Amino acid sequence: MERSADERVRDLRRLLEAARQVYANRSRLVPAIVASTGLSPQGVELGFESLERDAADEDLRSLIQAAGSTRHVHVVLSANVFVAPLRAIALALGAAPRVTVRASPRDPALARALVEAAGDPRITLTVDRDVAATEADVVHVYGRDATIAEVRARVRAGVRVLGHGAGLGAALVTGKAPVGEAARALALDVAVFDQRGCLSPRLVMVVGDQERASEVAERLHAELGELDMRLPRGVLSPEESSESVRWRDTVTFAGALRVGGGHTVGILPGGASLAIPPAGRHVLVVPVRDLAEARRALAVVAPLVVTLGSDDPVAAAAVAPAHARTAELGAMQRPPLDGPVDRRTALDAIAVT
Amino acid sequence: MSPEAESEALHARAVAFVDAYEQGLPMPEAFDALAVDLAGFQARHVSGYARLCATRGVDVASLRRAGDAPAVPTDAFKLASVFAFDAAHASVTFLTSGTTLGARGAHPMRDVTTYDRAALASGRALLASGLRLPVPVLVVGPSPAHAPESSLTHMNAVFAARWSDAGSAATTYFVRRGELDVAGLRARIAGLAPATPAIVLATSFALVHLLDALDGAAMPLPPGSRVMQTGGFKGKSREVDAAELRGLIARTFHVDERSVVGEYGMTELSSQFWEATAADPGAATGVYVEPPWARVVPVDPETLKPMPPGEIGIARIEDLANVDSVFAVLTQDRVRRVTGGFELLGRVAGAPPRGCSISLDEMLGGS
Repeated sequence: MERSADERVRDLRRLLEAARQVYANRSRLVPAIVASTGLSPQGVELGFESLERDAADEDLRSLIQAAGSTRHVHVVLSANVFVAPLRAIALALGAAPRVTVRASPRDPALARALVEAAGDPRITLTVDRDVAATEADVVHVYGRDATIAEVRARVRAGVRVLGHGAGLGAALVTGKAPVGEAARALALDVAVFDQRGCLSPRLVMVVGDQERASEVAERLHAELGELDMRLPRGVLSPEESSESVRWRDTVTFAGALRVGGGHTVGILPGGASLAIPPAGRHVLVVPVRDLAEARRALAVVAPLVVTLGSDDPVAAAAVAPAHARTAELGAMQRPPLDGPVDRRTALDAIAVT
Repeated sequence: MSPEAESEALHARAVAFVDAYEQGLPMPEAFDALAVDLAGFQARHVSGYARLCATRGVDVASLRRAGDAPAVPTDAFKLASVFAFDAAHASVTFLTSGTTLGARGAHPMRDVTTYDRAALASGRALLASGLRLPVPVLVVGPSPAHAPESSLTHMNAVFAARWSDAGSAATTYFVRRGELDVAGLRARIAGLAPATPAIVLATSFALVHLLDALDGAAMPLPPGSRVMQTGGFKGKSREVDAAELRGLIARTFHVDERSVVGEYGMTELSSQFWEATAADPGAATGVYVEPPWARVVPVDPETLKPMPPGEIGIARIEDLANVDSVFAVLTQDRVRRVTGGFELLGRVAGAPPRGCSISLDEMLGGS
């Protein structure tokens, strides 16, 4: 028998109770998460603040609406930002009374802890890596496009696969924003998960001239420098370091660069093509004359943009791609638990009923 | 000396390398001597290069070795002006193919004479080696009129103009408005004199389209003919393993596999690299050879230092024919030095994901 909306909300609230338990006992998980993610211990502590532990009924009902309704959802997690399993399991549980979870072999700690804390026999972990064997009628897969394509190719006929792919965040600082406040909030958005989440801003558009963009960049550089001390960046992989070197040389050639101990801020002239930086606390700042130019600047990466942060919600709504979330600066990494982080997939999910 | 006069003098020194190569003479000066003078000229007239040198702590005035000069990432060509002259004086601007992010790299040239001389010299030595010119040159690609922004099309046109038996555009170029003219190419090849070898110039993806269209049928070229294949597939055709493609091309055109010659070039450079299989019976397939005025150095992607011999790095290319832009370019191609040259091992992979943030590799369509 299909669960009512109220029953689903109750199921989700039990999952959030499990999240609160995991959060309360997080110190036991920190070493494993440090090892698997490369984040610093302080970075893991900060990341835990983004673990959803409560939600408004209204948000949970939105999540249920986005999740659709089905019999059994199998969740394939990647080495995502480490708190992502909560929302992934919530989406699955919102959709189906039976959930199987295959944690990322590289980063299994939080998924295991959540499932164990939930103690719900309807939510089980599996180590089976072959999705062809799943009895689920819907598979939620998180990861790169190539991973999603592999899963689609392997599932049984008739199984629906919903891919939650990769994306990036962008930010808009309007002309009326106090520069210091905006930079402080942005720095925090950048630092959480060392920018490896798809909600982290990698591009900052500043409404105004080059001078104002440079001012924002300088203040952001200073704020990130302060965070380098308090919340040090973790370890970059060799590939991330290589991308960093290449991006820094490119932006040095084309614009200007401010390099800190654990971050880099690049500034390009207005109208230049975008050089989207790699993850790992790298930010590109560009000036835009007005909101129309911001929209044009964002257009080339619009399909990849998951969220747009801004000091001005009206401006954000005017510039963000239709599918993207909008958020206040400083809160980009903490969206309400109202559906997938990435709304590009939410539209697909609604169709699965 | 005016910048233009300085540039002309540097071009003349680069061309002297080409002249010496063509005549089998010793090089006129040390590679490093011209390289450091190019670095100095480029740092004075390309502001981005001056910034890069300063950031890396390189005083170009005291440079002694080419390898100590910073290399400019190819991405910079998409973002900034990479030329040492007044933009109004560009005679041609070559553009890279587009990416997911839309931006195309631009390499304006004030004068293509050095480019043309360098291309002809290395192409003659390694693709057209041993052939008595003129020969028919058939381009499985567009004419310059249809793709004036393509450096490859320009090179093909230079080869066709200098090596061929004065064929018209209709009998030389077999991609028109993006369509491969299989029937026209078949008729042209069928009409070739059997005693005169021909040269076919094509990209790998164009050859795959041609082979698919032929569906196993042969298109025999006269004995002794050569086929140039260049570039990857860039999503423009199905991907075919390099050895398999070489075999298919050889069987289709009835040429020896050693006459299917790989070329490696890029918009950001003025020189090309060739397999030496047609010129040197001892040369291995998959090994590309530099002309004396260019070097390919595998470097560590993190430190940008040269890799130990035999180890894989990303290609830092020093091209003395790149006079009016930057002589040292950092690519994203993985290479390894081997006896006789270097191997191309594909594009560098992006960082493995440790979150849902999109990787640069994915953003650029590399995976």
